[in-house]
Amino acid sequence: MADPVQFTGPHGPKPKTPFSRRNIMLYGTLIVVSLYYLVPLYVMIVTSLKGMPEIRMGNIFAPPMEITFEPWVKAWSQACTGLNCDGLSRGFWNSVQITIPSVLASIIIASVNGYALANWRFKGANVFFGILIFGAFIPYQVMIYPIVIMLREMGLYTKLGGLVIVHSIFGMPILTLLFRNYFASLPEELFKAARVDGARFWGIYFRIMLPMSMPIFVVAVILQVTGIWNDFLFGVIYAKPDSYPMTVQLNNIVNSVQGVKEYNVNMAATLLTGAVPLFIYFVSGKLFVRGVAAGAVKG
Amino acid sequence: MPQTRIERAFLWSITLASLFFILRQVGVEGAIFEYAPEAILFIGAGILAVIFAQTRRLDLFKNRLRGPILGWLVGIAVCVMVLVLAQKGVQDSWEFAKDYKKAWKALTPFASFAIKLFALFAVALLIVGTRDDATTPRGAIERAFGSNMSSKVAAMPMAFTAVGIFVIATLWTVYHSFTNSKLLPKSELIGFDQYQRLWDSDRWILSIKNLAIYGACSMVFSLVIGFVLAALLDQKIRLESLFRTIFLYPFALSFIVTGLVWQWILTPEFGVQHIVRSLGWESFTFDPLFNPDIVIYGILIAGLWQGTGLVMCLMLAGLRGIDQEVWKAARVDGIPAWKTYIFVVIPMMKPVFVTTLVLIASGIIKLYDLVVAQTSGGPGLASEVPAKYVYDYMFGGQNLGQGFAASTMMLVGVLIALIPFAYLEFGGRKKHG
Amino acid sequence: MNSVEIKNLDLNFGAVKVLQNLNLDIKQGEFVVLLGSSGCGKSTLLNCIAGLLEVSGGQLFINGKNVTWSEPNERGIGMVFQSYALYPQMTVKGNLTFGLKNAKMPKDEIEKRVARAAEILQIEPLLDRKPAALSGGQRQRVAIGRALVRDVDVFLFDEPLSNLDAKLRADLRVEIKKLHQQLQNTMIYVTHDQIEAMTLADRIAIMKGGKIMQLGSPDEIYNRPQNLYVADFIGSPSMDFFEGHLENGVFTMGDIALPMADYEYANGPVSGPAIVGIRPEHILTGDQTAGAVTTQVTIDIVEPMGSDTLVYSSLNCKPLHIRMDGKAKVAAGETITIGFDPVSASLFDPTTEERI
Repeated sequence: MADPVQFTGPHGPKPKTPFSRRNIMLYGTLIVVSLYYLVPLYVMIVTSLKGMPEIRMGNIFAPPMEITFEPWVKAWSQACTGLNCDGLSRGFWNSVQITIPSVLASIIIASVNGYALANWRFKGANVFFGILIFGAFIPYQVMIYPIVIMLREMGLYTKLGGLVIVHSIFGMPILTLLFRNYFASLPEELFKAARVDGARFWGIYFRIMLPMSMPIFVVAVILQVTGIWNDFLFGVIYAKPDSYPMTVQLNNIVNSVQGVKEYNVNMAATLLTGAVPLFIYFVSGKLFVRGVAAGAVKG
Repeated sequence: MPQTRIERAFLWSITLASLFFILRQVGVEGAIFEYAPEAILFIGAGILAVIFAQTRRLDLFKNRLRGPILGWLVGIAVCVMVLVLAQKGVQDSWEFAKDYKKAWKALTPFASFAIKLFALFAVALLIVGTRDDATTPRGAIERAFGSNMSSKVAAMPMAFTAVGIFVIATLWTVYHSFTNSKLLPKSELIGFDQYQRLWDSDRWILSIKNLAIYGACSMVFSLVIGFVLAALLDQKIRLESLFRTIFLYPFALSFIVTGLVWQWILTPEFGVQHIVRSLGWESFTFDPLFNPDIVIYGILIAGLWQGTGLVMCLMLAGLRGIDQEVWKAARVDGIPAWKTYIFVVIPMMKPVFVTTLVLIASGIIKLYDLVVAQTSGGPGLASEVPAKYVYDYMFGGQNLGQGFAASTMMLVGVLIALIPFAYLEFGGRKKHG
Repeated sequence: MNSVEIKNLDLNFGAVKVLQNLNLDIKQGEFVVLLGSSGCGKSTLLNCIAGLLEVSGGQLFINGKNVTWSEPNERGIGMVFQSYALYPQMTVKGNLTFGLKNAKMPKDEIEKRVARAAEILQIEPLLDRKPAALSGGQRQRVAIGRALVRDVDVFLFDEPLSNLDAKLRADLRVEIKKLHQQLQNTMIYVTHDQIEAMTLADRIAIMKGGKIMQLGSPDEIYNRPQNLYVADFIGSPSMDFFEGHLENGVFTMGDIALPMADYEYANGPVSGPAIVGIRPEHILTGDQTAGAVTTQVTIDIVEPMGSDTLVYSSLNCKPLHIRMDGKAKVAAGETITIGFDPVSASLFDPTTEERI
C-alpha cells in the first residue's frame, strides 16, 4: 500500500463493446456483401414462383403476390429444346447416368493410382505423374478434337459411355494428386507394419488404407459430383441432343430463340439444375471447402 | 557386367518398338513405321535368345518369378479375348460383342501388338527367373516387369492418360494447326497460314482483348475482394461459418446457372435498370449485356460473383496458417492492424497468393460456359472469347485448322503464364537443396 | 550358428551412400542395440534387415537362410515401430491377428497365439478395444504383441520408446528386458538414447555415417572406447579431452605428468603425441586424491543433482567436468585439489583418433 496511485485504474478507454464503431463497420460490410451474394438466389426463387403477367408488370425483387408452382412443373416436364418438349427431366436423368459411373470410375482409378504413387514408387512413376499434373493446366480445347476422333473410332462418340471416359480422364490429375497427397500424409510406419505382416499391394490397399481414408473419399465424391454435374463443355461436344446433360439442356431451353421467353420457367429450370450441387454444398459443409481448395485447379 | 548390358539392350528394344508402334497408331506415315515395330520386337527376341544361350535352362515350376509370368499370361489371354470379340462370327452370336463392335475393332491393333509384347516379357522372365535364385540381386529385366507389378498395373490408367491423351493429343493438335484441315483433319503441312489468318481475324483480336480485360480485372478484383473478405472474417466474428457459406455457395453452381441468373438480373426491361427507373431516375441506363462497349464487364460481374468465394476461402486458410504470435508481437509493438496486414501478413502469405493467382489464371483462360450462357458471344461478336472461337470453328464453322491454330495459341498463352510459376516453384526448391 | 549375419551390406539412395560395406554378426538370443545420433543410418540398417528397403549390395542371412531378396514376412522377423503403427480401424485382436490371417494360419492356432501373447504382455482386457482407446504404454504393448504372435526368431525394435514420457519409458524398458530374458529371442533395437542402450544391450553397435564405429558390450563401450567419436558420444556429460605427449609410459600435459604404467594399451606402449580422455566420475577428489597425481583447479559452476554434484571447471584452458558426491560441499570460486586415475583414463592417437 506504499503507492496508492497504482490503484487508480488503467489508462485509456476500455476497449470493445458489442456495439463499438468497429463492430458496426465490420458487420455492416459483411451484411452488405452477403446481400450481393444472396440476391441472385433470391431473384431466382422469387421469379420462379411468379406467373408471367406478374413478371411483366412488376419488379424482379418483389416477392410473388400469388405463388404458383406451374413454372417448376413446366420446366421439369414440358419446356422445349428444339423439337423436344419433354422438359429438363431428360437432361436430369442423362446427368445422373453420366455422373454416377464417371464419379465411381474416376475415384476408383485415381485412388489406386495415388496409393501406388505414394507407397509403391517405381522408376519413372514421377515422370508420368509430372506430365499428368502439367496436363491439368493444358486448356481442354487443345485436346478436344483428338479425343473426338478416338471416341469415334471406338464407336463411343455422342454416347454416354464416351462422356464417362472423358470425365474420368480429365478428373484424373486433380484426383490423383488429392489421393497421392493424402496417402503420403498417412504414417509410413503403418505401411511398413502391414508389409511385415505379409500384406501385399491390394491387401494393404483394401485392409489398411481404404478403411482409414473415408474422409478423403467423401471429398473426392463431392468434388467429382459437383464438377461433372456442372460441366458444360464436354457435354456439348461429346453428347448429342438425346444424351445432353442437364446444363446443356438448360442453356438450350433458356437461350432458344424461338417462342416467347418464359422467365419464370427459365428460372425454375435454372434452380432445378443448380439444386444438386447446392444440396451437396449445404449438406457437406467443411468437406466441400476442403474439396474445392484441392480441386480449384479444375475450375 | 555384360549381363546387365544385354538386359538393358533388351529393354531398349522393347521401348523403341513400342514408341514406333504408338507413332504408327497415331497416324504418322512412312514405310519405316509400317514394319519397324515388329522388326525391332524381332531383334528383342534375338537378344532374349542370346540371354538364353548363356543359361540353357528353363523351369517354370521352380521359377522365382512364377507370379509375374502368370500375370503376363493373363494379360495375353485378355488381349486374345479382345481379338475374339472383334471377329464377325462371334459378334453375330453375342449381343454384347455387337454393341461395342467399333470399340473392339479399334482395339485390335493394340491387342495384337500387346500379345507379342507380353509374350516376350513372359519368356524373358522365364529365362531370368530360372537363371537367378533368391540370393542374386534383381536384374534390369526383372526390375522392369517382374517386381512391383501391381503398382505398375495400377498406374497404367495414369500413364495412358498422361502420355496417350495429354501428350499425344496436344502434339496432334499442334501439328494439325499447321495444316489446311477443313471438315476433316488433313496431314499436309502448309506452314503458318492458319496463324496468319487467325491474327488477321477481327473476331480473334476481339476475343483476345476481351479475355485480357476480363483476366486482368478478375485477377485484381477477386484477389482484393477475396483478401478483404477473408481479413474481415478473420476478426473472430460471430456467425463466421454462416458468412463463409454465403460467400462460397456460388462456387458450387455451374457457370451456366450463374450466367443465366445474371442474364436475368441484368435484363434492361425487367432487371436492375428497370428497378432504378421505376424509382424515379428515368434516364438511368445500365444494360451491360446489350452494350458492346461494356458487355465484358457484365460477364465480369457474374464471374466475380461465382469465383471470389473460393479466393476468400484460400486466403482465409492462408491467414489462419500465419503464426498468431505475429499478431501479438505487432500489438506489443503498437503497430496498427492495417499496417500489420500490408507490411507483415501479406508478405508472409506470398505462397498463398501465388497459388491463388495460378488457380485464377488457369480458370480465366478456360472462360467459355459463362459467355455462352450469358450472351452467346453477343451483342454481335462483342463478348467473344478464345475458347468460344475454338469451339465455333471446330464444331460449327467446319474449319478445323483455324480451331487447331486458335487452341494452340491458348496453349502458348498458358505456357507463358505458367513459366514464372514453374520458375518460382522449382527454382525455389533447388535453393533448399 | 549366428541368428543374423550381415555381410558387406551397401545401401545407396541415388548417389548418396547411406550404408557402406557393413558387417555385423548377431548370435542367437543376443540383444544388440544400434546406437547413434540421427542420420547415422541405424534405422536404415534395421529397415534393410526387415526387408523394407532393398539393399544395393551385400548379403543378409537370418538363421542361416539367405534372405537378401526375400519379402519382409518371409524373413522370420517381427518389428515394433516408434509410432506403434497400429491399424486404427482394427481392434487390438484384429491388429494381433492380421499377419497370421495373411499367412492363412488355422483359426485355433491363431487363438492360441493371441492368448499366449496377451498373457505375456497382460493385455487380455484390451483385446476388443480400438487403438484410439488405449494409452501410449498400452499401444506399445500391443505393438510388441504383434511381433510376439508371429512367433519369430528375431525381434526388431525401431526406437520403440521415443514417443513415451520419461516415467513410462523407464517402466517399459524394464519390461522389454524382462521379455527378452523370458523369451530368449534375438533382438535388434535401434535407439538414440544412451541409457536404453546401456541398460538393455548385450552388445552395443555405435554407428556414424553408415558405419559401425564400435561394437562391444556396454562395459567395453563405456570404459574402453575404441576411438574419439565413441568416447565423446557415450556418457553424459561426456569425457573431457586433453592433448599432451606420451613418452616412456608417462603422459605429460602442461606441468602435469601422469605415469601410465598400469594402463592397458591396445597394441603395447607407444610414444608420441596423444590425447587423454577422462570421465567426470574418474576425477578423484577429497580423500581419494591421496597417492595420486594431483593439481589445483578453480570451480566455475556447481550443479547439484541430488544423487551427485556436477562441477564445471577448467584445466589447461580446456573445460573439465567433475562428478562429486551428492553431499559434497563446494561453491563456485573455490579452489579444490583433484587427482587422476590413469587406469580408468583412455588414450587416443590424435591423427587416427583410434585408441592407443
